[in-house]
Amino acid sequence: MGKIKGFKEYKRIDEKYISVRKRIKNYKEFTINPKKSELNSQAARCMDCGVPFCHSGCPLGNLIPDFNDLVYNNKWKEALDILHSTNNFPEFTGRLCPAPCEAACVLGIINPPVSIELIEKQIVERGFKENWIIPKVPKNKTGKRIAVVGSGPAGLAAAQQLNSVGHNVTVYERDSKIGGLLRYGIPDFKLEKSIIDRRVDILMEEGIEFKCNIEVGKNLEIKDLEKSFDAILLSTGSTIKRDLDIPGNNLTGVIQAMDFLTHSNKYVDGEIEKHYDKYSAKGKNVIVIGGGDTGSDCIGTSNRHGAKNITNFELAAKPSSERDLNNPWPYWPFTLKTTSSHEEGVERKWSVLTKKFIGDKSGNIICLETVNVEFDNEKKRFIEIPDSHKNWDCDLVILALGFTGPENNLPIKLDVKLDKRGNISSNSNYQTKKNNIFTAGDCRRGQSLIVWAISEGREASYHIDKYLMGSSNLPRKNSFGDL
Amino acid sequence: MSYGSISKAAHENLAMAMNRIGGKSNSGEGGEDFNRFQKDENGDSRNSSIKQVASGRFGVSSHYLSNADEIQIKMAQGAKPGEGGQLPGPKVNPSIAKVRNSTPYVGLISPPPHHDIYSIEDLAQLIFDLKNANREAKINVKLVSEVGVGTIAAGVAKAKADVILISGYDGGTGASPLTSLRHAGLPWELGIAEAQQTLVLNNLRSRVVLECDGQLKTGRDVAIACLLGAEEFGFSTAPLVASGCIMMRACHLNICPVGIATQDPELRKNFKGKPEHIINFMYFVAQELREIMANLGFRSVEEMIGQSQKLQAKKGIEDYKVKGINLDKILYKPISNNISLRNTEKQNHNLKKVLDFKILKEAKLSINKKIKTSLEFKIKNTDRSVGAILSNEISKLYGEKGLPKETLNLTFNGSAGQSFGAFAVKGLKMTVFGNTNDYFGKSLSGGILSVRVPKSSTFESSLNIITGNVALYGAINGEAYINGIAGERFCVRNSGAKAVVEGIGDHGCEYMTGGIVLILGKIGRNFGAGMSGGISYIYRNQEFLKTKFNMEMIDLENINDQDEDIISGLLENHFSYTNSKIAKMVLSKWGKEKSNFIKVMPKEYKIALEKIAEEKINQLIK
Repeated sequence: MGKIKGFKEYKRIDEKYISVRKRIKNYKEFTINPKKSELNSQAARCMDCGVPFCHSGCPLGNLIPDFNDLVYNNKWKEALDILHSTNNFPEFTGRLCPAPCEAACVLGIINPPVSIELIEKQIVERGFKENWIIPKVPKNKTGKRIAVVGSGPAGLAAAQQLNSVGHNVTVYERDSKIGGLLRYGIPDFKLEKSIIDRRVDILMEEGIEFKCNIEVGKNLEIKDLEKSFDAILLSTGSTIKRDLDIPGNNLTGVIQAMDFLTHSNKYVDGEIEKHYDKYSAKGKNVIVIGGGDTGSDCIGTSNRHGAKNITNFELAAKPSSERDLNNPWPYWPFTLKTTSSHEEGVERKWSVLTKKFIGDKSGNIICLETVNVEFDNEKKRFIEIPDSHKNWDCDLVILALGFTGPENNLPIKLDVKLDKRGNISSNSNYQTKKNNIFTAGDCRRGQSLIVWAISEGREASYHIDKYLMGSSNLPRKNSFGDL
Repeated sequence: MSYGSISKAAHENLAMAMNRIGGKSNSGEGGEDFNRFQKDENGDSRNSSIKQVASGRFGVSSHYLSNADEIQIKMAQGAKPGEGGQLPGPKVNPSIAKVRNSTPYVGLISPPPHHDIYSIEDLAQLIFDLKNANREAKINVKLVSEVGVGTIAAGVAKAKADVILISGYDGGTGASPLTSLRHAGLPWELGIAEAQQTLVLNNLRSRVVLECDGQLKTGRDVAIACLLGAEEFGFSTAPLVASGCIMMRACHLNICPVGIATQDPELRKNFKGKPEHIINFMYFVAQELREIMANLGFRSVEEMIGQSQKLQAKKGIEDYKVKGINLDKILYKPISNNISLRNTEKQNHNLKKVLDFKILKEAKLSINKKIKTSLEFKIKNTDRSVGAILSNEISKLYGEKGLPKETLNLTFNGSAGQSFGAFAVKGLKMTVFGNTNDYFGKSLSGGILSVRVPKSSTFESSLNIITGNVALYGAINGEAYINGIAGERFCVRNSGAKAVVEGIGDHGCEYMTGGIVLILGKIGRNFGAGMSGGISYIYRNQEFLKTKFNMEMIDLENINDQDEDIISGLLENHFSYTNSKIAKMVLSKWGKEKSNFIKVMPKEYKIALEKIAEEKINQLIK
C-alpha cells in the first residue's frame, strides 16, 4: 500500500481519453497514459486491508495489494512478476475488464475505489516496453500431447500454462487468425489487434503450435484428433447468437452484432478489402437492440462508420446511479453505466421491446415498431404496457442480444454431454463425461468475461496436467467461491 | 474495546443495544463520559453497564463507579497477557483526555500489573474497595484462559469476586502487538472447563457467576460454553462486525474506513451501525441456542450449566494430528450430590462492620442538607476503605460535583487500615492522627486527605514513615497532605491530585499523567519512570543524586516565579492541615529556601502544554 493515509490525501484518477471528435475519425485506441506521479499516487490509495476483498472480487484472485505496494515503491519488475503469477494476459484485462475488483475494493465503501485496472495496464505495458516479457521455454518435455480447440482467452491461457510444464500443445482455430472474440468481436479502438499479436508471438516462441483455418469436426476428423492427442480441451466459446423471432427479422438490414463487428474488424485489419454495404452503418439511421457491452461496441463502430444517428434499445428498466439496498458492496453494482462508446453519440432508450420489423417492397428495412414493457416481479417476466406502441425509422438494425451457448455439433460428435442450459457439461475438475476431454471458458460457463475465461483456462490446465501426470504444480486460485 | 480504541458512536451503539435487550456493555479501560449516565430523551441509555477498572485506573472515580451495575477488574487480557496498553500522545485528543482524566496529547500508559495487586490478598482488598465504592454493583474479575486458571479462579472466588470472567485468546483489541494476539493465551474452552471443575470440586462454584468470552459467534458457541460451566457470555468482535466492521486489521493505524476503530472525525462519519443491527444478531444467536437446547432436551439455560455430559468428542476422525487427542479431562463432570454446578447464592462481603456506616448515620444531615459538620472517630487497622461508602452516597446524590469544599470534616484517631480515603469525593475532608497503611487515597476523586503525627508525639515527622506503599494510586482530583515519609510508588498513576509529602521510597511518581507532587525530603531510586504528565517539585535539603531519577521521559529544571507561588501555596496548606515542622521552617526562610527546589518536568507534558497554549491563542485570534 505504501502510504498509510494515502487514501485520504489522493483522489482517484481515471484513465483519460482523446476527445470524441478526434477519436471517432479512426479505429485506434484512444486512452491517454497517466503521468508517473499520478500512478504513484493511485497506488498509494490502496489501504492494504486485513481482509482484501479485491482478491475475491477478482475472478483470477489477482494479488492486488501486493502489486499496488510495489508500484508505489517503483518496483515495476517485481510488480509485473506478481501480476503474471495469477494473470496470463494483463494487457487484455487491463483494457477490457469491467473490474469486479474495483467493485469489491474496501476503499469503495467510503470513496471512489483504487484504480486497480489502470495500474494493471500500466504494469504490463511497462513490462513490454522494457522487454521484461520474454518467452519462457520449458527445459524438459513430458512427451504428452494436448489439443486445445478454440484460441480465445480461455484456450490461450490453458495453452500457455500447459506448455510451461513441458507438454506439447497444439491450438486449433477455425478462423484465419488467433484470438476468437478478442480479435473479431472487440473493435480495435477497445483493443488494437497488434496487442494480441504481441502476446501470441511470445506464445509461439514458447513452443505452442497454432493451426488456423481448421475446424475440428469439419476439416479435421474427430477420430484423428482423439488418436493423436492424450488430452483435449474444448474452449470453443459461446457463439450461438440469440435471435429476435418477430415478423420481419429476415429483412435486409437486420443483422447480428457479431457479423457486423467481425466484418468491421476484418476490414480494419485488412483481411478483407471491401466494406460491404450490408455491414456498413455509413449515412444510416441505426438502431442497436441490446444494451450490453456488445451493443456498446456496435455503437462505437457505427459512429466510426459515419452513421447518421444511432438509437440503442434495452429491455430492462433504466438502472439507478446508486446501489440498490439488495445490491450492497462488495457485489457487482447493477447501476447505470455510460461507456466511452455511449459518449461518442447515441440515444439510449430503456424498457423497450421490439414487436416487428417493417420493410419496403424490395425487402429492405424502413422502420420498426416497439412497445414499452415493465418487469412483473410476481410473474417473473416482462409485460407490455398498453397503448405504448411507437414506430422508429431505421436503415440498419443490429441485434446485440447475447449468446445462448456453444455450437453443439462438436460436443455431440465427441460424445460429451451438454447440461440443461446447453453448455458443455463438466465436473468440478473441468472434465467432461470422457476422461481425457476437458472444457473451459464460455462454452462451459455460458457467456461471460475475459477475466473469467483466463481463470477457466488456468484452472482447467491444472486438472489436465494432474490427469496426465498424476499430480500438478500449476497454480490454482484459493477461492471457496466468488463474489 | 475501550472508548479510545473504538469511536464514540461505535461504543455508544453497543451500549444502547445491550441496554435495550437487558444485556450488559463494557466501558473498557478508558473511563466514560458522564453525560452517558443519564437516559436520552427517547428513553435509550448509553451508559456502560459494566465499568472496567484496569491497571491504568483511567477515569476510575467515585462517580464513575457509582453508575455501574458491574465493576470489572481487568487482571489480564486475552490478547495482551501481562502487558499494559499504550495510547500514544497524538491519539489522545481533548475528548479522550477528558474522559480519561488526563491532559490532551500526553501519552497514556497502562502499567503491566495493577500496582495495588501483588497477591491474592491484595486482590481481595481491591474487591472490597470496589464493593464499598458501590455496594449494589457486582464485582467482576477478568482472568485469561491458561493452565492454572482454575486455581486462580478458586482464589478469586475466595477473595469475594461476584463474577469471574474467563477470557479466551482469540478476542482482543486491534491495538495489541501481533505476537500477543496470536501466540498468547489459550482457548476459552480449556479455561472454562478447568475453572468450573476446580470451583465445583472445592465447593466454591455456588457463590460466583462464571462468564466466558473470546470470539464467541454463534448459538453453538454459547451452548458449548454453557455446558462446560459458563452462565454469562461475552461478545465483542461479532457485534462490531454486525455494526459494520470489515476486519481491516488497521485499528492501531487510526484509518478504520467504517468509522469504528478510529478517532479521525472524517472517518467517523462513515459509521453506519445501529442498535437494531446488534440486537438482530443477538436474536439469531438466541434462536440457534434455543434450537440446540430443544435438541438436547433443555427447557432453560439454568438447567444446562455445567452439564458437560451432553458434550462428546467427534468420533471417527482419521486425521493423524487429531486422532490421538483425548477430551475426557475437558468434558469431565465432577460428581456432585448437593454441590451446585452454577451460581445459587451471593457472596458475603462482610460489609456490616464497615466504619462508614457509623459515619453515615451521623453525617446524614450534613450530606443531605449540605451543612458543614465536623465529626471525630476512633480508627483501627481493620477499618479498611474508610470513606468509600460515604463517597458513593454523595456521588449518588450530587454526581461529579460532590459537596462544597470541606462540608464534611472527619477526624480519625489511630492507625487506619488499607485504602484509607479511597475514592474520596469533593466535600470530604478526612484527617488521621496516627498513621495509615497501604493505598492511602486510592483513586482520590476530589476530597482532601491528610495524615499527621498524633498531637502528643515527640519524634521527628520528616524522618519517620507515616503511610504505606502505593499511596494515591490512580488519584484523579483532590489534595493530600502527608506529615511524614511515604512508602514505594508514591502517586503512581496520579492524573490530577495535589500532594505534599516529607519523603518517599522508590519509584516515586511512576506513570504519572497529571497533578502536582511536592516532596520535602528524600526520594528513592527510579523516580519519574514512565512519567508522561504532571509536575513534581523536590526539596534539596540534603545530598541530591541525579542517579535516583529515571531520565527517560523527564527533565530536571530550575523553578520560575509561577512555580514559587505554587510551592509556597502548597507549603501553607501543608502547615495548615498538618502543622508540619518542615513546612513551617521552609516558609519562614522562604527567601533563601526557594532556591533549594528543583522541578521535574516530563518532556511530553511540556510539549502538550505548549500545544494547548498555542491552540488557545489560535482560538482567541479566531
